[in-house]
Amino acid sequence: MLEYGPLIKRLLTGEFICHINDSDAYRHLQDDNTRQAIDNYLRILNYRIVSNETQTVYYVGFYEMNRDARSQLMNQFKDIISSLLPLLEWLQFMQETQGRESTLTAGDYIRSSEIMACVEDNQSLQQRLNQLSSDRFFNCKSDSIDLQLKQIFRRLKEHGYVRQPNAEQQIFIATGKIDYLIDVIRFIRDEEHLPVEDTPLVQQELL
Amino acid sequence: MVQEISPLSGLFKNGAERLALLGKHHHALMKGYVDGFIDETAFSEQTLKKLIAARIVWRPDEQQPLMLRPLMSELIASMVADESRRQINADVAEKLEQIRNKVQAWRDAYYKGDYSIAERQMQRLTELVHDLSGQFEEAIDSLWHRLNNDFGFVSSLNEKINENARAQNQVRRLLDGLDLIVFQELIEFAENSSTLRKLLVSQLQLRVSLHHSSLLAVQQRLVDLMAKFRHQQSRTLLVTNMAAFLRQHPQYQPACYPERREVPSVFNIAASLSLQASIALDRPVDRQTMAEMLLAMPRVTVMPPSVPKSAGSVILPVDEEVAARQVALKMDVEDFYVFAAGQSGPVSALHYLTENHLNWDSEIWLYQVITEYQSLPLADKPRFWQRCDERQASPVNDLRIILDVSIGVRGK
Repeated sequence: MLEYGPLIKRLLTGEFICHINDSDAYRHLQDDNTRQAIDNYLRILNYRIVSNETQTVYYVGFYEMNRDARSQLMNQFKDIISSLLPLLEWLQFMQETQGRESTLTAGDYIRSSEIMACVEDNQSLQQRLNQLSSDRFFNCKSDSIDLQLKQIFRRLKEHGYVRQPNAEQQIFIATGKIDYLIDVIRFIRDEEHLPVEDTPLVQQELL
Repeated sequence: MVQEISPLSGLFKNGAERLALLGKHHHALMKGYVDGFIDETAFSEQTLKKLIAARIVWRPDEQQPLMLRPLMSELIASMVADESRRQINADVAEKLEQIRNKVQAWRDAYYKGDYSIAERQMQRLTELVHDLSGQFEEAIDSLWHRLNNDFGFVSSLNEKINENARAQNQVRRLLDGLDLIVFQELIEFAENSSTLRKLLVSQLQLRVSLHHSSLLAVQQRLVDLMAKFRHQQSRTLLVTNMAAFLRQHPQYQPACYPERREVPSVFNIAASLSLQASIALDRPVDRQTMAEMLLAMPRVTVMPPSVPKSAGSVILPVDEEVAARQVALKMDVEDFYVFAAGQSGPVSALHYLTENHLNWDSEIWLYQVITEYQSLPLADKPRFWQRCDERQASPVNDLRIILDVSIGVRGK
């Protein structure tokens, strides 16, 4: 158990463990026995290890739903829901500035300087960055593109959506929490039967 | 052998000359490959004629510019592994037919005793068998190449999906083609000729089984990659459409999942704890370590409190609380001086202390008043005078005790 001490601490501080931010820890968590051992330890705190449907991230959730747990979950839930649109808009913004055909996925690199270069010569992207960074989630009050991008990545790092391997360089790697975000919106879409398609029209016709 | 070279020598000379044409005009021809047509002004009339005669370039019809012949384009595409134009030839039946004919031709010549013809037929047959195998090798190489750069030769995800589907069809046709090679039939062809048996059966069989397993591996990778492409496509659409939905419905609130009996795991996230630890003073064994840590700590230079160019303190600051009290004491003493400066006559320090309900020990208060007087800047000092009310502590010695201090302002 002793060897998992540091991992348990990280989980308790709200970290999402995926193969990008810690491949060793992630591998340990994939093992049923290890998870069981950590769960036993967390049990006295009314916690257990939870993962998303695709098992790309592991995090700590409640073991038993009592009133206290539910009220805490309620707060988290409100935060998640209010952060959905800014995060989705950020994903779209990344896709456009990086000239990618598809949405960012875990393991993708993001170079802040490239985004900056792209935004600098594009008035409409500047406007969108301005809008995005001033959203409550990112909460940036500056007009400078540089500071706006810095604040956005700072917040994303805080929330675990990206990892910065070298503190001196503005290069980030998308983590498995992006997958978690996608799982959340897919879950809501399915549960609430929202008219949000994820298959191209042509394919549907073929079916 | 001599009479065989003469018909071939014309062929050899012709072929070599035409190959040389390719080298000589490589730049313009390669440009033709990239642009899709040949820039006729880059060549002389004479050269163009030669290139057309060599079947390197052609004019598909009168209206069209000159272009590389399809075989030339294919050759270049294969040489540079240009997957957007590389062709995969999945036709096996035709090759097998040729092999059958050649075996027959060889057998006829052999039984007639025409050994030199038989030998040439055997050589052609060997080429055909290698051709058949090479056809698969080329196809497999092309497929791996496309896989390894993620179909990078097309830009959009949709095109990648289409290219992947096309490649999967090619693999299926190649696998069907491999099935056409029936070894029972080839064994019969070989009869009792060991050369034929070696060529058609043992060598080919080995190759075919290698190709078969390579193709299955390619197929698996294509299917996996297709799943990945589809997954990416679906994520991208989901993100786009969900963002659009949320923008259109800014007030949208989903059901309250944390209140469900079974909370879905995506929303079962414990709030983060902040874990803190402090120094344990109850374990003597740790003392050495703690002492070392303390020594290793960078020295904190305490900024002097921003109180006027102050007097030293009567109490040595031991910790922050004491230091704070020290500062408060100094401030009160300064206030006393300010008050005294505004009065016409002398002011008693003790009187001021009680009047203002200040909570200082009288002895400490007096000390601070005296210290403050002594440390007044030289320019200010002459403006004040100080008098101590003293009494002798005992008749037997000269110890004097200060009872009170009065501060007054000198008249101008």
